[in-house]
Amino acid sequence: MRRPWRPAQRWNWWQHNPAYRRYLLREATALPLFVYALVLVSGLYRYTQGQLAFTRWLEAMQSPGWLAFHALAAAACVLHAITWIELVPKLLVVPGISGPTIKRGHQVAALIGSAVIVGAALASWPLGGAGS
Amino acid sequence: MKRSNEPIAWSLFGAGGMLLALIGPGLVFTTGFLLPFGEPVATWHAVDAFIAHPLGKLFLLAVIALPLYHTVHRLHHGLQELHVPLPHGLVALLCYGSATVLTIASASWLLVR
Repeated sequence: MRRPWRPAQRWNWWQHNPAYRRYLLREATALPLFVYALVLVSGLYRYTQGQLAFTRWLEAMQSPGWLAFHALAAAACVLHAITWIELVPKLLVVPGISGPTIKRGHQVAALIGSAVIVGAALASWPLGGAGS
Repeated sequence: MKRSNEPIAWSLFGAGGMLLALIGPGLVFTTGFLLPFGEPVATWHAVDAFIAHPLGKLFLLAVIALPLYHTVHRLHHGLQELHVPLPHGLVALLCYGSATVLTIASASWLLVR
């Protein structure tokens, strides 16, 4: 049986190279976004318990801690989007369309996509529920 | 030879990554800031009507399940890359298992409505 030599790698291999640090930061965006998905699941669960429970959940989300968390999650998601779309031309190769064009197309699609979500939300319910 | 589950995991990872890139920032802003500060009664009715619609259910399941599979995939591989001394199989089970359990729970809650 083949027994290849495996070089020992220390746990802090990423500390001294900026490219490795950027890579790990990119991977780390998954942590706040995982918690964000859990928050969505909790909101859906509270929804199943009825209007009062869901309104309590909305009020909990007004707390400074959750607002700070969502600011962090939004920043992580923007970083994720930038780095993800950076890699799209390497994964999606379309004959006749250049890599930079594919990247630019995804960047425009992402701006439109997020704007549509926010626009649809603004059109669906009036704001002004703080402290209610 | 035992077949690898990696293609399935990667497909879900890729779909979740693309979804988060294309609508993620808007989604976090909406549910993190616009939803809590909406007028409560109107917000409830808007959410209720959204979940009542089959496409609303499908959308919500997608924005819950795909980011779950995307993020657990990265966390699973990230823990390995940082040489966290946990058994590889156990971490994989906890990561993809929790994503699957939460996906099934969310789907059933959406179908109850």
